[in-house]
Amino acid sequence: MVNGPAALLSVDRVSVGYTDRLAVRSVSLDVRPGEFVALTGPNGAGKTTLLRAILGLLPIREGEVRVLGTRLADLDIRQRAQRMAWLPQEEHPQDNVRLLDYVLFGRYAHVPPFYSENTDDYARARDALRAVGLWDRRASGIWEVSGGERQRVLLARALAQDAPILLLDEPTAHLDIASQLELIGRLVRLCRESSRCVIAALHDLNLAARFSDRIVVLSRGRLAQDGPPEDVLSTGLLREVWDVDAELRRDPRSGLPYLIPVLPREVVRTTPAERRLGPVHVVGGGGAASDTLRTLAGHGYRLTAGVLPLFDTDSETAAELGIPAALEVPFAPLGLEARAENRRLLEGARAIVVAPFAIGPSNLANLEDLRAFVATRPSFLLRTASLSERDFTEGRAGAIVRELLSGGAIALEEPAQLEARLREALTKSVPDPA
Amino acid sequence: MTGVPAEPRPSETPERASTTVHRIARSPLGRLAPLVIGLFVLGVLSCFLGDVAIPARVVLGTLLEHAFGAIVPISPCAGTTLSSTECYVYQTIVWTNYVPEVLLGVLVGAALGVSGAALQGTFRNPLADPFLLGLSSGAAFGASLIFVFHLGIQDAQWTLPLFAFAGAMLSGGVVLLAARSPRSSVTTLLLTGVAMSSFFSALLILTLLYNPNGNLQVSFWLLGGLEGATWNQVAIVFSGVLVAGSILALYGRALNLLQLGSDVAQSLGVDARQTRIRVMLLASFVTAVAVAFAGVIGFVGLIAPHVVRRVAGYDYRIVLTGAAVVGAIFVVGSRDLALLFFPGIEVPVGVPMAFVGALFFLYLLYRRPGPAGEGSGW
Repeated sequence: MVNGPAALLSVDRVSVGYTDRLAVRSVSLDVRPGEFVALTGPNGAGKTTLLRAILGLLPIREGEVRVLGTRLADLDIRQRAQRMAWLPQEEHPQDNVRLLDYVLFGRYAHVPPFYSENTDDYARARDALRAVGLWDRRASGIWEVSGGERQRVLLARALAQDAPILLLDEPTAHLDIASQLELIGRLVRLCRESSRCVIAALHDLNLAARFSDRIVVLSRGRLAQDGPPEDVLSTGLLREVWDVDAELRRDPRSGLPYLIPVLPREVVRTTPAERRLGPVHVVGGGGAASDTLRTLAGHGYRLTAGVLPLFDTDSETAAELGIPAALEVPFAPLGLEARAENRRLLEGARAIVVAPFAIGPSNLANLEDLRAFVATRPSFLLRTASLSERDFTEGRAGAIVRELLSGGAIALEEPAQLEARLREALTKSVPDPA
Repeated sequence: MTGVPAEPRPSETPERASTTVHRIARSPLGRLAPLVIGLFVLGVLSCFLGDVAIPARVVLGTLLEHAFGAIVPISPCAGTTLSSTECYVYQTIVWTNYVPEVLLGVLVGAALGVSGAALQGTFRNPLADPFLLGLSSGAAFGASLIFVFHLGIQDAQWTLPLFAFAGAMLSGGVVLLAARSPRSSVTTLLLTGVAMSSFFSALLILTLLYNPNGNLQVSFWLLGGLEGATWNQVAIVFSGVLVAGSILALYGRALNLLQLGSDVAQSLGVDARQTRIRVMLLASFVTAVAVAFAGVIGFVGLIAPHVVRRVAGYDYRIVLTGAAVVGAIFVVGSRDLALLFFPGIEVPVGVPMAFVGALFFLYLLYRRPGPAGEGSGW
């Protein structure tokens, strides 16, 4: 990131605002061709102020902005417009301007003063409108298109402006999820396919992590973080800058980080039935419990799990679903700590489900520890795969399973029955508070 | 005419638009053509109206003689019972009174129309107008000073517009300052203009009453008048309006962008502040030239741009020119109405205009806001 092509935009220790109340304090930032930089931070952190100062719409108090190597102060307004295009959060056109004319506005800085647009300007406006997929609506008025389409028109205008630097202020703030993804996708492709760069103020950290090459975090006007999403996003950052507790997860498909805010229990939406159902403790490992965890979570059960090997499918699933689990290093005998944690979870559980996991000497303790609990809690052993095929303990596992069954556990051949049986058992055994 | 949609609908792609004639007629410039033709016809017909009833034949003859006399010999009074003296007097009245009056009306209307359109564009506000923003009253006050204090009276025809311009800038400067304040809104801006207008009207009345000669008509300055127009005045107003009006018309593209808000306009390359100051200066100048010779005629600059927008769309490159044409129609039409409905009484040209204008102003105030919602001042 340090070496590479020359920066298109270079912000050097820039402060904006009044001396006693600086909105942006000594922020430095270099943006290179092809980079998509997400500018983020809480409300009032100075994102918009910084963007407007870069555009020359606000006076810079200290420091310097260089655009393609030239000091901002040495560029007149037309030259700035030829180098930087801006997409405001929203615009209030006074007239119902035809979309093609609206895009043509982007050519202003390229037409000599007091001249009219020539055929080349029209061609560029047409191309830009085609690029955002609105050519068919070129004769529509700007008042007649939806919010998402309007942002696309603004993007087309910025494209027609033909500036290497694109500054966006919350471009997705008023858009529905489909339009958000669509707009950001276009911007990312634009970055990849041309040598332009994009700096976008984005509220949505997960959107930022998903699409940007770099995340820049502003906090109270200062630069708090600047780096690739996987380095920048952390629960600590969220607590420090946003004052929000969050869990950091990884998208299993892209491997990209994302954050889930932890809400106080009283504000999480639950139904009385969901509050009654659980916790259910699921014993598994090696992926045998994943389906069960997902199904039960989908039905609104509160779940715990254990002891699961770290990094295997079951533990990833548990993490993804936010299920507390006792964990152990893979391919090692279950340690005392993990077993103690598992027993603690079993203690708190109101029902037990044993997934058809493969049993070896290292995880036999998972079965052994159940003996103390099956008598007092409804317990279900899923037997979709026969025990002999997954018993690698020379029969010791079989003996414990028989012991569990005689102790009150119920064997289920059909996983589809599990939910109904669990619900039945839990609703019967617990007196309804109502 | 008002119900015509501004642009072809999407279903009618340009390729399928029926004929070339059709296309030209539907283009913004094509829509202005009937207005220009209308102005010409109205202008010619207006020369037949005046304080003195003159046989239409003589008026027509006089006009034709001056237009084509060099090519074809025309005798305006041939075939009438008029004596040669009467004929001469009538011809003189037509050519030295009526025609300059009408032409001055055309120029003053054009000046006020283009000025109103430019102000509405810069202030992003459909209620801006040289009269409501106090430019006209300021100009009238400035012009009146010449007579009261005998300043440059020898060359009054040339110094009048300059004094009027100074007066207009006094008033315009205050409005510009008010507009720059961060707390300014559409309302405060207009009210500042209204305050300036009243203030300078009061000053104007004071100076007119103070005037020891007593040869200035209060009604002329407050409500406008075209009577007494001379060819000399027409020439001065023509040069002023042509030069400043043409420069103003070149700001069409910048004004189009200013409609998106100053910040957006600036990000697209328009120097919003500079454009505003220059347009304000030019609009003040154009207004001052008009007011210096025709007094204060209100509402022309307010209504003309709205009519053009209805007819020819939003593009300020068209609106500025079109507002000049419509403004000219209004002022000349207003003169004709005054002469037709109040014969024998010298009703100032601003009176019929005010009747129409005040009603239209109310309509603008109380109509439903457009989809863009409330305008946000600058």
